[in-house]
Amino acid sequence: MSATVEERPTPALTEPRKVAPAKDSRKLIRSQVRAGWLFLAPALLHSGIFIVIPVVAAIVLSFTDYSFGDSWSWIGFANYSELFQDVDFRAALANTLLYAVVVVPLSMAISLAVAIGLNQKIKAIGFFRTAFYLPTVTATVAIATIWLWIYNPGSGLANGFLSLFGFAPGRWLSDPSTALPSLMVVGIWQGLGTKIIIYLAALQGVSRDLMESASLDGANRWQRFVNVTWPALGPVQFFVLVTSIVGTFQVFDLVYVMTRGGPGTETHVLVLDIYQNAFQALRLGFASAETVIMMLVIAIFIGLGRLLQKADVND
Amino acid sequence: MRRGAGLVVLVAAIGLVASACGNGVIDKSTDGVPPAEATGTLRVLLPSFPASTKGREAFEKVVEDFHKTYPKMKVEPDFATYNNLNEKMSTSIAAGIPYDVMVTGVGWVQPFASKRIFTDLAAYGVTPDVIREKSIAAMIQPATYDGKLYAYPLVADARAVALRVSAFKEAGLDPDNPPTSLEELKVAAEKLTKRDANGTITRSGMDLASPTGFRQSFTTFLASTGTPLYVDGEPNFDNEKGLETLNWIKSMINNVQPYGQQNAAQQPLVLTGEAAMGIVGGAVDCTDKGIGQANCDDLKFFRFDSGKEIEYVGGDLASIGSRSRHKDAAWAFIQSLTQPTTLDEIAKLNKKLPAYKDAANSPQAKSNPLSKFVAEGLPHAINENSPPSNWLEMRGNFDIQLTQAVLGQKDPAKVLANLAGQSR
Repeated sequence: MSATVEERPTPALTEPRKVAPAKDSRKLIRSQVRAGWLFLAPALLHSGIFIVIPVVAAIVLSFTDYSFGDSWSWIGFANYSELFQDVDFRAALANTLLYAVVVVPLSMAISLAVAIGLNQKIKAIGFFRTAFYLPTVTATVAIATIWLWIYNPGSGLANGFLSLFGFAPGRWLSDPSTALPSLMVVGIWQGLGTKIIIYLAALQGVSRDLMESASLDGANRWQRFVNVTWPALGPVQFFVLVTSIVGTFQVFDLVYVMTRGGPGTETHVLVLDIYQNAFQALRLGFASAETVIMMLVIAIFIGLGRLLQKADVND
Repeated sequence: MRRGAGLVVLVAAIGLVASACGNGVIDKSTDGVPPAEATGTLRVLLPSFPASTKGREAFEKVVEDFHKTYPKMKVEPDFATYNNLNEKMSTSIAAGIPYDVMVTGVGWVQPFASKRIFTDLAAYGVTPDVIREKSIAAMIQPATYDGKLYAYPLVADARAVALRVSAFKEAGLDPDNPPTSLEELKVAAEKLTKRDANGTITRSGMDLASPTGFRQSFTTFLASTGTPLYVDGEPNFDNEKGLETLNWIKSMINNVQPYGQQNAAQQPLVLTGEAAMGIVGGAVDCTDKGIGQANCDDLKFFRFDSGKEIEYVGGDLASIGSRSRHKDAAWAFIQSLTQPTTLDEIAKLNKKLPAYKDAANSPQAKSNPLSKFVAEGLPHAINENSPPSNWLEMRGNFDIQLTQAVLGQKDPAKVLANLAGQSR
């Protein structure tokens, strides 16, 4: 018995088995790594050309006085120190922060409410889903043009509607006190579609078993929403938050078409200020410094969002 | 070894992409090549030809004339507008494919010349002294930088003031004795302003032609007090006259004209009857296709005069890009562009005046009463005078900060001091 047992691990039989799989697996791993890089290559090349190079270029340019002319020089942090004394930049930063702080939570809340509504078994659900998504696929310039008419002080829909209730006509976009809120309304409305679709997909992924269990335990609708739906939406909330913050910080076309940043600096936002400094004042170095600051502010906001959402870093 | 080879392939691929993006459209230089043999593409940026069939036809005539000298060269036009002119120019420079011919406005030439983006036209025998014999005087200074000529004047964009005779009579004012000084204008404008029961302005007493920016209005009204905006590149508005002018504009907005008022067609409000008096451009169409003869007959024109009779004059000027590889061809194109018949055509299309010396006798000046009036007023021409080298940046600063002062968001004196400090 014992001899038989001792004979089991015969080198002649086991050694080739040990060596062969190791070689094969290394080969397999190498080919998998190659395939991985091959599949990644287009995305890496794209990111390298259109993201990494421009970002590095912006950082480098921010330390120069380049203004499209023949000569330029390194000026250290001069653009940055000038930036924080620039009243237009400060106004643009404040307006952008205010725009983000108002538009992001409001649009998320409205989108979630609408998504919950669209997740019910109601008639013409397809029509409603399409209608809510329509602004997202419409060009911002077209949307802005329609809203320009809505806000027109003389013949606009907004004043026409208010006049039915005896309100005095408003000068929505030319009154300093209403210009930015008017843009916020358009921004919220335009951004609903994408968020609704994402929330809708997440809502349909909420575990029915958990919902049924909660119902059986006697939980009402609100309790089911708070204790089952809301926690299940966590990762999606974080995704929507991040994309919304980035989107609101990048607001430009809406402002460009509707107010050009006016009246005064009431609707002056960061990207518009960057655009004007770069392509109208021809101060590309200065505008690059502004871009770097904007990237940092966005990063800080996303960091804060992560903290608030207590999101899993490894999502 | 393999890694090294992979890296080489990657670098080669990126290089290929970069070279395809960067140099594919740049021609070989044709300078010094006989015109008949020169080949390539001449890129021209022009806000002077409107996006209409007539505009395109007029441009084609220029190209035909150019092709008599350069038959093998292709002309690639970019019909920009003044709203996106800077964007077009800066992005073309950044992309490494700058335009060969660039048509810009008054206030553009000096900043671009200082950045060496435009070429000194002396190489083609055109100096300030030469152009003085050929063009209207108002366009010489805006085309000159550091004693050299960097642009060839095409058309002049002159502005006058118009009044509605019927509105003046209705308000008990004498249309034959129009108000010209700041004080008189305010008194008359207040009388001419009509409001509804809620106090909302239904007809403006005066259209300042500045729906959202007051840079040109401020320059105009300030100049009418005998104070040019800049003198030798130095600010000349941070003073008593400047403050008086800005406070006057502030007293007019939302008093005789609501802030932001403009019509859908962005036409001068006095021509449509939405204002009783106001700043107008350089031409009026009195035919039925335009505002009609009856409306025209109700108009009278005059100039501002708060101590100095003035007429604001802007305009279009053609320059050659300093990085152009077809400078000789670009000059030939400018010569085709500045044929008197072409300038007449551009003037008609843009409601401006041809910038040649005898503009007062041009077909455009004889075609309508407003053009005749502004042509006669060219000796009174003013503009920003000698703006600083950062004028392109200051244009936006003026628009924003003057608006803040006018709307009461900032102290006018501090705004002027700030603008003066920013001018460099």
